[in-house]
Amino acid sequence: MLTAGPRIHPRLRRRELGLLAIAALGLTVGSVSLALTRLAGADDPLAPDAGLPLADPTALAIYLGALFAAHGLLVLTGRRTDEVLLPTVGLLGGISLLLMERLPQDLAGGLGLGTTQLVWLVLSIAVITVIAAFIRSDAWLRLYKYTWAAFGVGLLLLTFVLGREVNGQRLTLAIGPLSGQPSELLKVILVIFLAGYLSENRALLVEESTRVGPIRLPPLPYLAPMVAMWAIALSIVVVQRDLGAALLFFAVFLLLLYVTTGRASFVALGLLAFVAGGAGLYQAVEHVQTRVDIWLDPFATASGAGYQVVQALHAFARGGILGTGLGAGLPEVGGLPPGGIPALHTDFPFAALGEELGLIGVMAILGLYLVVIERGLRIAASAADDFRAILAAGLSLVIGVQAFIIAAGNLKLIPLTGITLPFISYGGSSLLTNGLVVGLLIALSDRGAQPPPPPTARRGLRRILDRGAP
Amino acid sequence: MDPVVLSIWILRLVFLALLYWFLWTVVRVLMRDLRAAAREPGAELGRLLVLASPGGEPAVGAAFSLDAVTTLGRDVNNTIVVDDDFASGDHAVLTYRGRAWYVEDLGSTNGTFVNGDPVDGIAAIAFGDELQLGNVRLRLERARR
Repeated sequence: MLTAGPRIHPRLRRRELGLLAIAALGLTVGSVSLALTRLAGADDPLAPDAGLPLADPTALAIYLGALFAAHGLLVLTGRRTDEVLLPTVGLLGGISLLLMERLPQDLAGGLGLGTTQLVWLVLSIAVITVIAAFIRSDAWLRLYKYTWAAFGVGLLLLTFVLGREVNGQRLTLAIGPLSGQPSELLKVILVIFLAGYLSENRALLVEESTRVGPIRLPPLPYLAPMVAMWAIALSIVVVQRDLGAALLFFAVFLLLLYVTTGRASFVALGLLAFVAGGAGLYQAVEHVQTRVDIWLDPFATASGAGYQVVQALHAFARGGILGTGLGAGLPEVGGLPPGGIPALHTDFPFAALGEELGLIGVMAILGLYLVVIERGLRIAASAADDFRAILAAGLSLVIGVQAFIIAAGNLKLIPLTGITLPFISYGGSSLLTNGLVVGLLIALSDRGAQPPPPPTARRGLRRILDRGAP
Repeated sequence: MDPVVLSIWILRLVFLALLYWFLWTVVRVLMRDLRAAAREPGAELGRLLVLASPGGEPAVGAAFSLDAVTTLGRDVNNTIVVDDDFASGDHAVLTYRGRAWYVEDLGSTNGTFVNGDPVDGIAAIAFGDELQLGNVRLRLERARR
């Protein structure tokens, strides 16, 4: 595979190295701060986490080692690809590692929360690196878009039928010893399919042949997949009771439609369909009703259904502007002692970070997600054809929209939905698929071989000397 | 004040400051990148890349910057001169209208093809599609930004 292509010349990636160094320094300081806070609290039996073991510095060392090894491999393959995404995602993952080490370890069975998360993070970095270093052609994605779509729908149906119910949501698919959440993988498949479909039919979608009152629409047959998308999103809500994934899929679909056609009327129409569907679901599905009621007034059921949200709001309030410091918050899980948030490591890491890092820290984390979106859109703008452009835009928007949905849910800005915060939440499915997304983005950003330097005019003394030479 | 408490305080603030240092450095990289892109001569609407050209004119690998109207053919007055035995004098015209590209066959003897399909009068063409005149194959690509 490597021998067939042109010869590989290693190429330094100075920006990436510089950014990785800052990220590593920051994470080390965070780790020391966490350890000192625990050490100081160890004497005090009333301290919030007196019973927890001290953080192990080897976990962070292994994680940083994996990041720098990934950087080294990218240098060796010598492609001219993006140098910002790996450090940005690496910093998010490192913050996740610090958070998981500081939570009660019995949340995950076996190795404990911190160690399990470390394993998944390292695997995720490996996925990013392998895809970023070795994927050169996008034909395998472009040509088989209907195969991918069929695979995605099959996965969805399999979850409908065989899925295991956890917390009233049918999300987890277990086959033998393997279990995972297919909706995470589904979002990538959705973006690949939409990129293939939209880039192929762009010219037709831009055309206006159907008119409904003041709104002009593309030819009707080309609207069918759009309606199918809407139906799939609704069925995910009804059957799986997974509001988060449905919201994410539909938002990404509308954004990509806008990116492709540049028409606000499509988005307006989509939002109307969304509002209509949402209102209908609110009436019909009890689960949706509960979520919206909690969102409108969590304090009405503060010790029941609204408990999580109320505790998250208290956590943000305790954090204030500067936060309580890593390790000094009260994010005990399971409700004991009072003040804990159930499902903190998967659904509420943003609230825990809000408590310990404060408004300032949370703004920085949102800034990191913005960087991922900016890079993705920039890669899209300089892509060679429509498929790559839509794919890059879609992949980065998936991460951005997902982060927004869960962060806004934690903050009670929108109804809470149980999706993960990319690269921070605990969980293998989420980390691996987001690694896949970032790896593809880096591979898509390849600017090809370095162009030869432009001929420089020989000036001054050199020119006289050259002319004088025999 | 207890030195341990004080050092924890300082470390906390240093951690937050480092997060912002990272962001600041990233934003500087992004700004430099955007400025470099803005400096490049732009305003082209698309590019035509020559994939195959047995006659040598245009040369294989050459890329033409496209305006809203580009004419192709053997005649020297065309925007892109295609010197091929199977190309007509005024062979085809490539236009950018509104938001999409179209190719029109100007009644050439041997026809114009988009992805292997013959163009009957006028046809839409998208970025990444392949255009064929005689033996010359070209690919429409997005503008470099």
